[in-house]
Amino acid sequence: MKIKVKVDPDLCIGAASCVTIAPETFQLNDENLAVVLDHGEEMGGRVYEREMEVTAEEYEMILLGAQSCPTLAIFIFDEAGEQVFPEA
Amino acid sequence: MTRYVIIGAGIAGTTAAEEIRKRDETGEIVLIGEEEHTLYSRVLLPHYIKSKIPREKCFLKKETWYAEKQIEYLRGERVKEIDTKNKHVVLLKAGREIPYDKLLITTGGEPRGVEENPRGVSYLQTLDDADHLLQLLAEVAGNKEARAVVYGGGFIACEYLNIFKHFGLSTTCFFRGPWFWSRVLDEESGRLITETIEKNGVIVLSETTLKGVLGEQELAEIQTTRGEVRASILGVGVGLERDLSWITDAGIDIGSGVMTNAFLETNAPDVYSAGDIVEFEDAVTGKPMMGGNWTNALMQGRAVGKTMAGERTEYRLVTSYATNVFGLEIIFVGDTRRESSDEVVVRGERSSGYVVQLFLSKNRLIGATLIGGNADRMTIIKLIDQQIDLGLWREKLSNPGLSLKEIN
Repeated sequence: MKIKVKVDPDLCIGAASCVTIAPETFQLNDENLAVVLDHGEEMGGRVYEREMEVTAEEYEMILLGAQSCPTLAIFIFDEAGEQVFPEA
Repeated sequence: MTRYVIIGAGIAGTTAAEEIRKRDETGEIVLIGEEEHTLYSRVLLPHYIKSKIPREKCFLKKETWYAEKQIEYLRGERVKEIDTKNKHVVLLKAGREIPYDKLLITTGGEPRGVEENPRGVSYLQTLDDADHLLQLLAEVAGNKEARAVVYGGGFIACEYLNIFKHFGLSTTCFFRGPWFWSRVLDEESGRLITETIEKNGVIVLSETTLKGVLGEQELAEIQTTRGEVRASILGVGVGLERDLSWITDAGIDIGSGVMTNAFLETNAPDVYSAGDIVEFEDAVTGKPMMGGNWTNALMQGRAVGKTMAGERTEYRLVTSYATNVFGLEIIFVGDTRRESSDEVVVRGERSSGYVVQLFLSKNRLIGATLIGGNADRMTIIKLIDQQIDLGLWREKLSNPGLSLKEIN
């Protein structure tokens, strides 16, 4: 499945729970804010949002990472651009 | 049918309930919480206070969520007694007994208070605390005479400093130690924080204790061992107190918290603990450890929920916590108690703006503090997680010329 993962740098506090749970998708940048990776790769640099193709299993971990964020700074969108997390 | 009772409806308890329900569709789950709200993020409270997000965005669970998951949520209620022989708990207000097959204690702690609490004294733990602080801030808005005082030298004190600066209040900060987190941080790290706070216009009074809070109806003045400070708002952030008396009365072992093994199981059969109140055996270092942060509470809730539902799961995580004061990064990783380590190596100095402490035990890294940067955070987590023997690197560790990334 294709998803878009986005971090809001204004909300992120660098707690890094997402990095703990889904390190292939989230890492911290020099400002101690989470950036989004595509399977560990940083094509096009350290960015706050990225579209990627993931398996159902990978999606589960990314969702867990987003759910674990204490500031709800991580947003997940489906292929149609609908926000699937956090639920509106 | 299994009856699960969870005492404490914060992030650890609620996550455990959710995790149990994923694995046990028919079990009865009772979640008992002291607050009236649905689950919200305490980490988001400073964001809410500074208007970065609206109040409703603090909530992590909707009103309807509990019923959807068939979780009976008893709000505004406490447990006064646990009977581990007959396996029931007694509710404080309702007075009735609730039987359990599996019991989870996630009652966390309460902010340590000051004796006098006239209007103007603020704590920062709950959503109600945040609402109260916002009221106090609204009352002094535009008043050039208004003064804020922060009592404490830890994470909550940092939040207060950032908040008061956001509202443009002249602020004094005082605390008992020579610098922030004086039991954890060395002088270089500590002074880097003090200098940053002072550069932002805050008056810092170190090695200062509270003598009294003055004000009949409203707060007027704080008396300290280094003189009086005028105050309209006092932000108190001097640590957490854990009420363990009713737990030890039930024959459950306690230390600084509720003692468990790495599976978060207490000595009493079918009684578990997680979150801020637990003192667990750390699976990484084998030492007893207190968590005290969000990620820890959430991940423990997940692990213990699985265990309670029959999928016995060890809790294993290199915990880390990050905050910042006036933009200065403050990161604690793993076990940063001096008594746990046999050696502490300091890297860097405050003039460089980045100081790292490495806490070693038997040549292995068990914890670290990073002040002013995060460059080594992931390397440090890996070194702790894998318990790599640093014996060969020992001499060079304090040399900032050695990149920690070289160690593998």
